[in-house]
Amino acid sequence: MKNKILSLVLLTTATFGMVVPAFAHDADCPFCKTKLVQNTKTQDNEVVVKFGNKKIEYRCVYCVFADQKKFSGDLVVYAPSETVGKPIILKRTSGKWSAPDGTVFLNTFRRHVDCAEQSRAFTSKSALEKYAKANNVASAKALTLDEMLKEASKK
Amino acid sequence: MQKKTLVNATVLLALFLSNSAFAQIDHGQHGGMKTMDGMKGDLPKPPAQFPKWMSNRTSDHLFYKPAPYNWSIRNIPAFAADMYGTGVGHGIAYEAMVTGKADRMEDSIHRSIVGVLMNPPHLPIDEGAILPTFKRKYGSLEKVFDWAHLLHFQTIDVLSHKGWSDEQKDAEIEVLWQRYASQPYAITGLPMNMEVLDSYSYSTTFRTKYPKVNALFWGYHWLQTANYDMLYRTPTNTHIPQYEVMGDRYRNVELFNTDREFMPMTGEMSPRFSKRFPYIANSFDNLHMLHDNVGDILATDSLTEAQKKEQIDIAIWRVLGSTHLGEEPGKGEPGTLHDHRYPMGMPGMGWMKGSTEEEMYMSGMGWMNMSECGHCSIALPEGDQWGATVSADGWTMMVRCMLCARDMAGETIGRAVIRAATEDPNQTLVMISDEEGNWTSSIPGIVFLEVKGDHPECNDWSRVFTSRAAFDEFIKSDDYYKDAKSLTLAEWQTRNEGTPATYRRIDKPSPYKKKGGDGGTK
Repeated sequence: MKNKILSLVLLTTATFGMVVPAFAHDADCPFCKTKLVQNTKTQDNEVVVKFGNKKIEYRCVYCVFADQKKFSGDLVVYAPSETVGKPIILKRTSGKWSAPDGTVFLNTFRRHVDCAEQSRAFTSKSALEKYAKANNVASAKALTLDEMLKEASKK
Repeated sequence: MQKKTLVNATVLLALFLSNSAFAQIDHGQHGGMKTMDGMKGDLPKPPAQFPKWMSNRTSDHLFYKPAPYNWSIRNIPAFAADMYGTGVGHGIAYEAMVTGKADRMEDSIHRSIVGVLMNPPHLPIDEGAILPTFKRKYGSLEKVFDWAHLLHFQTIDVLSHKGWSDEQKDAEIEVLWQRYASQPYAITGLPMNMEVLDSYSYSTTFRTKYPKVNALFWGYHWLQTANYDMLYRTPTNTHIPQYEVMGDRYRNVELFNTDREFMPMTGEMSPRFSKRFPYIANSFDNLHMLHDNVGDILATDSLTEAQKKEQIDIAIWRVLGSTHLGEEPGKGEPGTLHDHRYPMGMPGMGWMKGSTEEEMYMSGMGWMNMSECGHCSIALPEGDQWGATVSADGWTMMVRCMLCARDMAGETIGRAVIRAATEDPNQTLVMISDEEGNWTSSIPGIVFLEVKGDHPECNDWSRVFTSRAAFDEFIKSDDYYKDAKSLTLAEWQTRNEGTPATYRRIDKPSPYKKKGGDGGTK
């Protein structure tokens, strides 16, 4: 009975959209203007760009690459990986991007409502394939950093 | 000593006049309509009688109150020019709509207005030279506009004036308000329900038909509302560098922002000024809504010329001070013309679409509670230690402490401005950051206290001091801080504590339902 009451309270809260705790400010992605997706216990989602003393959040790695012209200096990007709490660190130094060896990117989304799930970085091709299978991502292809940058530059 | 007595007398006189004016409002008669007449259906009906002056064709030209601060806006030359430019846009659009040129609105008229805004005049322009036909048709409306614009400009002149104390400026602004409110053309200083004022059968027509020109109008309404916190109780030598940031934003982003869901509100853009002078903030918002109403009426093709004239007269009457005599802020029947409720913590703003007692929606920022810190969601402090404001990315938010200010600005792309309380109530600190979050300070030698604790006390453990001596004196007075180390600006600016655990997101969709879609395609 106690559990039913608790469920009802949680359902009511979810349904009517009351005040809920947040891990990051309730904001839109600076690029796609869609709401940022918060980290969960099982998956990191927040993409953080460090620019000087600033830390700017984006919805996905594609959004960062597509919006990079807004920043004039060096960048460090903390991109969520397949492991919670272990982001992949991407760097833009003097205009040139670099990523740890083995890094691959998934980028299959068509509309930005799906970009946080389908534009992500992984430490290996096998990690990407495992994620794609678990999340039913169709026609998942592992892109290199250069290929990912090329996709984003089409914007 | 004599000077102090004079200042005190001025403040007392201002307070007396202020009370008298509200007494006048309190004891007047209710003015007509008490329903949402004309909303989403029939056209609004006229009151039993319009004020007599509205049919008086004499010019009744009013001008500036003689004062030593007049035209002090010119101390900030780029700001003065941009503000003079804003006097042209509506004039060009209104004249086009009454002379059969509305079909050119989004191309040649838009180009013409942009041309003026990007190359603004260096002297004020007489609107009569821009809209002669419109002025002949709608002379009473021009009297309302001119009188309110004059209050706008003279308030800015007071705030830009060099050599007066903040107290002198506050007192003079009170005097200006009393002078303004004493004329029949004055717009009410009461908060008005913006949803009601924007829900008539013709409402939203202009912004729907002419989104690019509407963006220009709302863009310069952004400038006209955001400037007050730039100027209010900030050192005059910070105004030019602050405007360098604001003007850049205005010319490159705000004028061309067609995504805005509602006109900028003074309480949103200048929260500190609006808390201190709520009646002025409200009168500016009511003025801007009148501008929107007039644009919507003129853009509604189904209305005859006679209907347009009558609807514009009704729109004027709706916002006049005389229509709301005897009414009080915070009261009034909800959802009516006489609904004068305001959001919690912000008496300088009318009730917005979708608002609740505690929450309101701000275009571009989402839902918020204006009585709480924009960063940590704890109630804002009052009094001399009022916290700080952060201006970044087109918004201005009130925060509780220096940590909240820094970290909130640090999450935002582009330059930012922090205006903050120090240990000295007469010294407001102004800090400006570059794109990478490197800050410069208006006060040399500032030091920071940051002994991280719980956010409900953050305005105690995160502070800025005008000197090391002031810092030492503070920590000596409180044993809790006896081991605290001061931080220089260079040390302080590299810190970032992320989002506070106390931050609460209000997770509701936009009441305007325009934004928040799927973000489009790649």
